[in-house]
Amino acid sequence: MHRQSTGYLFVLPALLVLGLLIAYPVAYTGLLSVTDNQGNYVGVENFARILGARATPTAFVNTLWWVFGSIVFQVILGVLAAILLNQNFRGRAIVRSVTLIPWVVPGIVAATTWAWMLHTEFGIINYMLTAPGIVPEPVGWLTNGSTVLPVMIAINIWKMFPFVAIMVLAGLQSIPNDLYEAARIDGASFWEEVWYVMLPQVRPVIIAVTLLLVIWALNHITIIYAITRGGPANRTLITPIQIFRTAFESVQFNQAAALSVMFFAVAIVVVFVYIRTLASNAGEAR
Amino acid sequence: MKKLFKTAALLGCTVSGLALSAGWASAGEVTWWTPNFNEARARELVEKFQAANPDITINLEITTTDGLPQRILTALQSGAAPDVIDVQHGWVNGYAQNNLVVPLDEVLTDREDYIPAALDYVTWEDQLWGIPYRIETHAIIYNKGDLVAAGLDPENPPQTWEEFVAAAQAMTKDGKSGFAITGGGEVGNTIFRSLPFMWMAGGGIISEDGTEVLVNSPESVRAVTYYTDFLKNGISPSSTLENDGTANRRLFIAETVSMYQSGQFDVNSIRQENPNIDIGVMAIPHPEGADTAAILGGWSLVVPTDAKNPEEAKTFIAFLGEADSQAVLTDTFPARVSAMEAERFQDPILQVFKEMLPFGRPVPAHPRWVQISQAYFDGIQRILLGDEDVQTAMDGAADEIEALL
Amino acid sequence: MSTVVSAPAQLKRTGLPMPLIIIGSLLLVFVCLFPFWWMGLSSIKTLRELYTIPPIWWPTMPTLDNYQKVLFESNIPRYFLNSVVVSVGSTVLALILAIFASYGFARFNFRGKPILQSFVLVGQLLPTAAIIVPLFITLRVLGLVNTYWGLILVYMILTLPLSVWMLTSYFKAIPVELEEAAIIDGASRIGVLFRITLPLSVPGLVSVLVYAFVTTWNEFIFALCFATDSSVKTLPIGLAEFSTEFNTDWGAVMAASMVMTLPIAILFLSMQRLFVGGMTAGATKG
Repeated sequence: MHRQSTGYLFVLPALLVLGLLIAYPVAYTGLLSVTDNQGNYVGVENFARILGARATPTAFVNTLWWVFGSIVFQVILGVLAAILLNQNFRGRAIVRSVTLIPWVVPGIVAATTWAWMLHTEFGIINYMLTAPGIVPEPVGWLTNGSTVLPVMIAINIWKMFPFVAIMVLAGLQSIPNDLYEAARIDGASFWEEVWYVMLPQVRPVIIAVTLLLVIWALNHITIIYAITRGGPANRTLITPIQIFRTAFESVQFNQAAALSVMFFAVAIVVVFVYIRTLASNAGEAR
Repeated sequence: MKKLFKTAALLGCTVSGLALSAGWASAGEVTWWTPNFNEARARELVEKFQAANPDITINLEITTTDGLPQRILTALQSGAAPDVIDVQHGWVNGYAQNNLVVPLDEVLTDREDYIPAALDYVTWEDQLWGIPYRIETHAIIYNKGDLVAAGLDPENPPQTWEEFVAAAQAMTKDGKSGFAITGGGEVGNTIFRSLPFMWMAGGGIISEDGTEVLVNSPESVRAVTYYTDFLKNGISPSSTLENDGTANRRLFIAETVSMYQSGQFDVNSIRQENPNIDIGVMAIPHPEGADTAAILGGWSLVVPTDAKNPEEAKTFIAFLGEADSQAVLTDTFPARVSAMEAERFQDPILQVFKEMLPFGRPVPAHPRWVQISQAYFDGIQRILLGDEDVQTAMDGAADEIEALL
Repeated sequence: MSTVVSAPAQLKRTGLPMPLIIIGSLLLVFVCLFPFWWMGLSSIKTLRELYTIPPIWWPTMPTLDNYQKVLFESNIPRYFLNSVVVSVGSTVLALILAIFASYGFARFNFRGKPILQSFVLVGQLLPTAAIIVPLFITLRVLGLVNTYWGLILVYMILTLPLSVWMLTSYFKAIPVELEEAAIIDGASRIGVLFRITLPLSVPGLVSVLVYAFVTTWNEFIFALCFATDSSVKTLPIGLAEFSTEFNTDWGAVMAASMVMTLPIAILFLSMQRLFVGGMTAGATKG
């Protein structure tokens, strides 16, 4: 429908900048992953070593939980909040700005604040629960093996759902009015409007946001790293944290690079498949 | 007008920043990275050095303790390193093995004046890779009032393992915990607090020469049981698994913990935040008939392989290594015996910490020490979580460590 | 979602019923604000009241000492300035590059589009631990370590992918017929982009802008490694400077966090009108 070359011209500057920044890191990581710390070629030894580590499979499973748990709730809560914030009511400007706050607070501060709010003894949350007798004794949110990962996921949801809300709200705001009017003439209720008008219209936005959320969940380590560092006993260890610790705590840059390469390969396959199936479908409609 | 000046100054800084990073640092310039808690003392020493050596310029860059290892490693790996860096003793070995720092044997004079354990720390393959300037060990800080309330004599604190447990048990009442161990935070917190018990019992994580796994030996298991039982028996607070050294200090300041292990750096915080506490310090308890032990911690100075002016850097380090300089720069104790004479180390509350120093040992120098200690720490956390008993957890750790040796 | 549809509310004017709006808003405000409010309280507590068991709600002697320290006795004001320069710079640069790239992706079909689209995300898929050293080397080769430009450029890795992705979806949501009409009237591609597409995507642009700004404003690890001189250090580094080896001046950290967070919340509040604007008019205006 349009000339191809014009399309290339539009996307070129951004791709050049990214290429400049990314090309070398990718090559460097690849090279590190097949050499030892003296620079000698060692084949797949680094890969074998890191795959043999006891923590690696644990981290992989935790990563899946972490990504899926975070994203499902971030998207659902984010869309619900966006629909609410799209309503006409007094004070919505304030509510909108307040909704933004979790996302604006610096990650490290949010993590530490939550850690102290959840602390078994100092924590205000346990105090709120025990003082009126809702629970008989303080809960060890971060010390109990079965609560610690869900708590981390909850904090991550708290931190990122405002982002979904704002992005989806922007999408809702650009829906043309005649679509609503058409629906109303057909006698649609509010929830039918949500289902048949709003959601289909913001579908591209939700798809794009979800992909970004996956990527961030795979790469944002601040919350877990600041609160538990992956502990206790690897209950909250996810692969990116393992990479970070292997590189910067154990000074095993080569093994970290090997793990990065595998992590990167899996991530890129996931992203590519996602784009081929979902994102381009949405695009073809235009 | 002020704004204009600021913008101009800003531009100037940017340009000079550019010049530095492009590798045009002129001869005779030494860039020194020191952490923020050293800043005032470091400036004092730089001034003194510059007065005596006008041809060498010292550029002081202040680092933050958060993210410091990452930042140092990034600089070392990428070849754009400063000339002198303050690092913890334990990090030096990793740098040496990866060829990131240069040997400093020629810089060290008066070898016999240094505490031997400090030099052991920064030695790898018979060469010295850092100059230690600061050392410290833990002792046990206790609340004298709580000891009295438990019917004990605060001036005669318990000395053996059995006496200590009995005392801690007696102090555990009315919502107070007798003795807090750590089980969370950075790995080092728990290594520093539990490994000495293993040493005292005749065990360890690995042998000193790094060839043998000791973590599941009967001696080590006895010590780990002793350590983790504090939580199991309710003597250590239920938040143990999320507590590091700082958290324990806060619990102590909040008067819910009566005793905990730490270094002298905590004393000032406690005095400042809760002046009501009468602070006592005792040696870490030992098994009947054995000596006490502690891990020696502290900071060294290293010169990166990619330093632009290594010769000037060494001159400067030699100056910082003098007893007088060490006495100024250290936040705790100096690494040289003769520097200990200085007035600031004579506070009576430091006495026990000073007495602990000869019992301080370095952690074993092994290329994969961080991973080894992580495997051990994971085992400790499995015990504290109640997942596994001590023997199983330490056997599991031993398997992992065996693969790393 | 399907349960939502099966419960249609019969209303004359479509929209959420008022009680639901009120409950939803209160819940939203509480969840988002509580940790932040706790942060604010901590910033006016004295050292002694910060950690008590049980925690206290309201300080008996509220103090502004922490703010005094942060605003007048630390480097925070200087870092604030640096943060503004870096965040504004990288946001503007990302937005310019992204507008063109997104338009190219949204409106043209060309060979290799899915691959190029996934390439945009590559930088975000690489674990931070893997790219930080090679990125440093890249910056050094370019002579950009310890400069504003260095940080601005590096932040493209963080902000550009999202900006491209989000804007692409917003552009796709704009009916292509509007543009075709203009092209038939003889307008150029660039003219169409600036005179028709962009004004229609203001909410999208604003949300992307807020995103890019917030991300760069809070970024810690790149700033820590690439800006070592106090003339370029940013606010998150300033937060870290309140921590020493065995202690953190928590009150000051909280005060500094408030200083860091409030400007963004206010910025967003002031952009509300733009956000609600948009020439196709909001859903709720009918």
